[in-house]
Amino acid sequence: MNQIVAVEPGVYSVLMDGRSYEARIEQSNGCVVVFIDGHRFEIEIRDPRRWSRQTGRQGAEGRLNVTAPMPGKIVRLLVAQGDAVAAGQGLLVMEAMKMQNEMKAPKAGRVVSITAHEGATVAAGDVLAAIE
Amino acid sequence: MFRKVLIANRGEIAVRVMRTLREMDIAAVAVFSDADRTSLHVRMADEAEWIGPSPSAESYLRIDRILEAASRHGAEAIHPGYGFLSENADFAAACESAGIVFIGPPAESIRRMGSKIAARQMAIAAGAPVVPGAHEALRSPAEARAFARQFGYPVLLKAVAGGGGKGMRRVDADTQVDSAFRDAASEAERSFKNPELYVEKLIERPRHIEIQLLGDRYGHMVHFGERECSIQRRHQKVMEECPSPLVAARPGMREAMGEAAIRVALSAGYYNAGTVEFLVDAHGDFYFLEMNTRLQVEHPITELVTGHDLVRLQLEVAAGEKLRLRQEDIAWRGSAIECRVYAEDPYNNFFPSPGKITRLTRPLGPGVRLDGCVYDGWIVPIDYDPLLAKLAVWNGTRESAIARMVRALREYDVGGIHTNITFFRQILEDEEFRAGRLHTGFVDQFLERRKPFAPPPDLESIAALVAAFHSAQSATHPHSSPAPRSRWLDIGRHEALR
Repeated sequence: MNQIVAVEPGVYSVLMDGRSYEARIEQSNGCVVVFIDGHRFEIEIRDPRRWSRQTGRQGAEGRLNVTAPMPGKIVRLLVAQGDAVAAGQGLLVMEAMKMQNEMKAPKAGRVVSITAHEGATVAAGDVLAAIE
Repeated sequence: MFRKVLIANRGEIAVRVMRTLREMDIAAVAVFSDADRTSLHVRMADEAEWIGPSPSAESYLRIDRILEAASRHGAEAIHPGYGFLSENADFAAACESAGIVFIGPPAESIRRMGSKIAARQMAIAAGAPVVPGAHEALRSPAEARAFARQFGYPVLLKAVAGGGGKGMRRVDADTQVDSAFRDAASEAERSFKNPELYVEKLIERPRHIEIQLLGDRYGHMVHFGERECSIQRRHQKVMEECPSPLVAARPGMREAMGEAAIRVALSAGYYNAGTVEFLVDAHGDFYFLEMNTRLQVEHPITELVTGHDLVRLQLEVAAGEKLRLRQEDIAWRGSAIECRVYAEDPYNNFFPSPGKITRLTRPLGPGVRLDGCVYDGWIVPIDYDPLLAKLAVWNGTRESAIARMVRALREYDVGGIHTNITFFRQILEDEEFRAGRLHTGFVDQFLERRKPFAPPPDLESIAALVAAFHSAQSATHPHSSPAPRSRWLDIGRHEALR
């Protein structure tokens, strides 16, 4: 018998074709993230019964913002406004939790704005730069 | 023995020390910063005191505040853990002059081992091998050639005033010496305004292997064998094992390294726990690197293999007891591995990932040890090293210990933040790792050859099914997921309605 049983909040036990799986759920802006055996799956649910505002995920088209993934400090800018950048190219160096990390361009394009400046403290979610 | 000990640290090591204090019936005093009021070490402690704001410079590094807390609470001794003030000679000295025992080596030994150059000279004087090199300026390329003929190529030319790889050149043959010397000297001149160079033997693909020591105040010291710590990222160890696959395959090597380490430590007047780090080349030749004058992060694997509680031994010798253990009492059984579980994203350049832990399932079962500071609902602070826990396993052989570690990692679930748990699973499946071919550049090379952490084909459809089920459920029972209601609240409402 195939079954899905909620065993703990956000944890499901699945029996499927005689095999047993444990799945854990995390909500993440608009989609459901499911973890099974360390593997991560992002599942988008489209339910016509529910009114939902499509946030319109930012694709490769148009302007893309680069935001700070966590609070920290801007150590160094690696590009200037107007620079052409390749996807994955380092834009700036951010320090958080005693480690320096490069923030990379999410796609190829031109740096249309760079709001971060060296030495600035930023909060999670702050827009640091925009690529178009 | 002490009746009360203050732990001048936080996180998993504070919890680790506290566990031994409990077992010895010694009261534990925790100190904490603003960020750590709800941390596990404070929750577990018998007594606790706030010592300042979140930045460590204003709390965990404040010698004055820690000593005030110790005297206010009547602690007779202070355990420094690792990091923070643990290798600060001034702190050790301040403890002693305040009449509080510092659970560690004497301040003078910390000071002497703190200088790399002084430590190297002490090692040479004690007859321990060091990386061959002339740490004084070369007068000509000919001197570099003479050195290389004596110790063999490859050698490294380094700037006397240097650092960060500037003014450094690798040389593989006599014919390259002149041009390498010229390039390195001019780069050193440009970078440091000093063209002087020295020469050192280059250890290729070195291993990092260290020896655990423990001694009493009366000159008796034993070693607890080695730990292999070659799996490093950003020059920081992430995975360690005992025994080292290299040392295990070479009869007499452990004894030779242990004896060399003891000689160096005793020549510095050392006592309590300490670790001597060696670089080891492919032939099994080892060279003194430095001494860490404290308990190491990775000490649990030594405890698993030797069966001794190193924190207990630290406390006993700090209290002035004689170390009853003889070298021949120490035996090594089986194999242990440790993984340092960090709040970081291994698929995004190991970017730190602080935040709230929304789910937690800990690995359990045979041969598993977890030294952590995490609980469900805890918010990993951004102010400190993002180490969540050290997962260590023991088993009879290296192969079975690897299998056990994979099993334990598969049981381990931390929700809400990213961790490096799956990264360890991938390393443990790697053929080079399984063959024991380790060196300090291992992780960098592994990152280039690693395949994506791909799921078996059936999992994605299961995930989609569960997501749909979950979504439908939360739509029909929108209030089923929030925190469970309090029974007290129910009783209160019931009483109010009477």
